[in-house]
Amino acid sequence: MGDTLRCMEQAVLFCHSRVSKGLVREESVMQAIRVEALSKTFRVRRKEKGLRGSVQAILRPRTEEVRAVREVSFGVDEGEMLAFIGPNGAGKSTTIKMLTGILYPDGGRVEVLGIDPAKQRRQLAYQIGTVFGQKEQLWTHLTPYDNFRFFGAIYDITENETEKRIGELAERFELGEFINTPVRNLSLGQRIRCEIVASLIHKPQVLFLDEPTIGLDPVVKESVRSLVKQMNRECNTTIFLTSHDVGDIEKLCKRIIIVNAGQIVLDDSMEHLKYHYLHKKIVEVKMQEETALPQVEGITVLKQKGTNARLEVDTAVIAISDALRQINAEAVEDINISNVPLENIIMNIYKAEGKDLTEQAGNGQG
Amino acid sequence: MSGQEKNAVSKTGVLNGKKWRKYRVIYRSVLMENLQYAANIALGFFGYFVFIFIFIKLWDYMYQEPGELIAGYSKEQMIWYVMMTEMMWFGSNASAVARQVKTDIRGGNIAYLMNKPYHYTLYILAKYTGEWSVRLPMFAGLAVVIGTVLVGPVPAFKIITVPAMVVCIILGLTINAVLQICISLLSFWIEDATPFRWLYDKLLLVVGTIFPLEIFPRTAQAFFKLTPIYPVCYGPAKLIVDFGPEKCIEILAVQALYLAAGCGLMFFIYRKGVKKLYVNGG
Repeated sequence: MGDTLRCMEQAVLFCHSRVSKGLVREESVMQAIRVEALSKTFRVRRKEKGLRGSVQAILRPRTEEVRAVREVSFGVDEGEMLAFIGPNGAGKSTTIKMLTGILYPDGGRVEVLGIDPAKQRRQLAYQIGTVFGQKEQLWTHLTPYDNFRFFGAIYDITENETEKRIGELAERFELGEFINTPVRNLSLGQRIRCEIVASLIHKPQVLFLDEPTIGLDPVVKESVRSLVKQMNRECNTTIFLTSHDVGDIEKLCKRIIIVNAGQIVLDDSMEHLKYHYLHKKIVEVKMQEETALPQVEGITVLKQKGTNARLEVDTAVIAISDALRQINAEAVEDINISNVPLENIIMNIYKAEGKDLTEQAGNGQG
Repeated sequence: MSGQEKNAVSKTGVLNGKKWRKYRVIYRSVLMENLQYAANIALGFFGYFVFIFIFIKLWDYMYQEPGELIAGYSKEQMIWYVMMTEMMWFGSNASAVARQVKTDIRGGNIAYLMNKPYHYTLYILAKYTGEWSVRLPMFAGLAVVIGTVLVGPVPAFKIITVPAMVVCIILGLTINAVLQICISLLSFWIEDATPFRWLYDKLLLVVGTIFPLEIFPRTAQAFFKLTPIYPVCYGPAKLIVDFGPEKCIEILAVQALYLAAGCGLMFFIYRKGVKKLYVNGG
């Protein structure tokens, strides 16, 4: 017993010394995804408006180049959960499709688990899983159980192994009640859970989730997020997530890449992002009687109605404690201080960083 | 399962010929799905019956004397020929394959089918085989009943020849599907491949399905024998109404050649076309 405790103590000390020296990350974490100067350009048909334009399009078809992805570079560590987000048309789906071997890049290099997706798409398919929230991969007339057996065979897993895996996943994702009900009769939440299970049947090392919680109610969203988190924790699965739902990003990912107009505009940790961009606080106060609000630099009155007021405090200009001192504390009935929602931060990054890039992209087309 | 283990499984699968298991499972899944719709398929019986009834009346009118031959066919042989080609037409619904490939490519759904460890074209073929495995026996049963009641048995029919006929029909259906897939894969380059498919369908329908090749002038016959009409519809139907071992070997050899060349072309077009893939919305 004493020896065991001593061994555990030594192991803890060893790990602690490695972490403190910053060795663990450098030595043991491999990159699951490596992208260098990745580019993709589409040729899109252009047509003038009206009947005349339609006739001209037949006689003299006109096409334009759209640079969907422009020399994007990033890496994703094994076991990392990354949010890859951007406004519509930013190039995120095109990037995912190049990472999964669906689209061929025009330039640059991609490696997923050391495999080139464009050249070895089928080999890569054995190692990755994909869930596209807006596309069904399950056969709707079959039951989830038959679907899982189907996917087991597709991934060359033996029948015994498939059965074992279905048992494990059905328990973890609580599918017992509806595993033998045809997919077409399932609710959206149940279907999405089954979609995720179908993509996990072959124990993928990297899971691409494209809007996995779209259309789900808050309770089911939360359940899907906790299952993804659990899977990442227990199996060290690398998660590559795209979503417009800030809740997905905030609750799942530690790192965020924002793309706009085909380029990366931000690649940062969530913690760092919040630290850098959360220098504004929202102060909501309810006064006992209507009073004049402070007119000080760094404090902006967003809304005032009767005894209720909403202020924005820029902590880069004025400390929050100084800002609070400006309010008559004795007259305050209730007060609430909160951060600017992450959604607003991301929206501001889209607007600020994307504006220049969109202009550049516009100049580059044609 | 680690990456190495999975690779090992995959390689072993290939070595043991187990890589076809996934296509068998696709086939079985479609079969299970289609069996739920057997009643819907039976609704197509009415169309088949009307079509055959019109042709029985037409050939009744054309053959004015008993024992008369037209282009070497007796009245019974002529009607059974049309019944067999129409059975393959109704029982296979091959245009559905072409429609699916076209819809997959134009709608972008192909993107979600491509990232699975199977070959897309073989996936489509396996699905199609699952579909006709339910439809064709149903239409074959109907054809035998209608033919026996309204026309009488196939002249000089021998039960021993049935396996060769079945192989010939299956090969004909598969070649047709492969060629339909080839045409639909053109959607990678052009907006709509429907006009090409329409031409191909009408060629099969008018020349090979409704009339046997012998009806046409000798020079046209020689040309048509080089086209897919021969392995897809004329060959199998001819074998049923006028079986001969030499003819059987000839048709099977042509079918084997067509299948090999068709599959080669299908893989080639797919490999080239997939690089042209543009998925709407990314």
